[in-house]
Amino acid sequence: MQKKVLTEQALYYGDVTMPKDWEIDRVYLSNKILYSDLKNEKFKTCKTWDKLNRYIQEHINLYYETALVNTDTWGNIYKPLENTDSLLNVDPVDLRNSPDFTLLYGVNVSDCSVKISYDDNRRKGRSWTIPLTNNKFVMFPSTNSYSIINNQKESLNFILTVTYEYI
Amino acid sequence: MAHFAKINEENKVLTVNVVANKDNMNAEGVEDESVGQAFLEKNSSWPGHLWIQTSYNTMFNKHASGDDSKAFRGNYAGVGFEWDSENQIFWPAKPYPSWVKDTSDANWHSPIGDAPALTAEQSSQISAGTNGWIYIWNEENQTWDLNDYGPA
Repeated sequence: MQKKVLTEQALYYGDVTMPKDWEIDRVYLSNKILYSDLKNEKFKTCKTWDKLNRYIQEHINLYYETALVNTDTWGNIYKPLENTDSLLNVDPVDLRNSPDFTLLYGVNVSDCSVKISYDDNRRKGRSWTIPLTNNKFVMFPSTNSYSIINNQKESLNFILTVTYEYI
Repeated sequence: MAHFAKINEENKVLTVNVVANKDNMNAEGVEDESVGQAFLEKNSSWPGHLWIQTSYNTMFNKHASGDDSKAFRGNYAGVGFEWDSENQIFWPAKPYPSWVKDTSDANWHSPIGDAPALTAEQSSQISAGTNGWIYIWNEENQTWDLNDYGPA
């Protein structure tokens, strides 16, 4: 008897463990997100973003042999106790130009978690919730909808979203 | 051109970059790895000591020119290779759990040595395309098993 896996819904998560003294400058990224939000401009990539992006691409390729190409990046700021609606980063009528993966990176967060929805064959509408902390990432298929739960009471939460295609 | 392997703190090779010769030479015009490392540190947002020079022409401690005295650091690094600073060797992934390192040829070997040579008859059958003899390592039995993949 044999088994063939036709597809998988893989989630990747962990800390961005950069070399000592070369850590991601999360304060700088927070400022970039705030700036793009205030100016209502697209998030502009920078050297700090490049460090994060390369870390993800190179380590996913090293450990999972999946080559990722960045397609888009934006930042979000969440108020205390703000919960998002269900979010989806693919366009159902334009899947060709939709990303394969969505990555969420905790730039400056507290009491935050990500709820990822998935179907397990006929068991529809299941979900998996993972805390999102500072310098942690979670990456999942863009075809999975998700929501962000912010339970912090005083500060703002800054989250960077990066989307990828795999080749 | 000079090649540098980017490694993480677990000594795993993440990628290999090319640096122009002029960016890997000191003021006297002599190749100097530390100059290349400084160049890469400045331009790649990754610390210089985690960029290790590697030789495109070296494999299993042999140099493509035939002059093995030019062999450098065992093997040309690839993604997933492991940097061994003590022996100054880039090791490919371990093929089987029981295999052991041999620093003399910068390669992994089975605990009972390499596969036996094919007989003259087997070799001629391969040449004729009637058989496809090959020894495959059997990790469970710790033996080299002769397999025939049939006509070409």
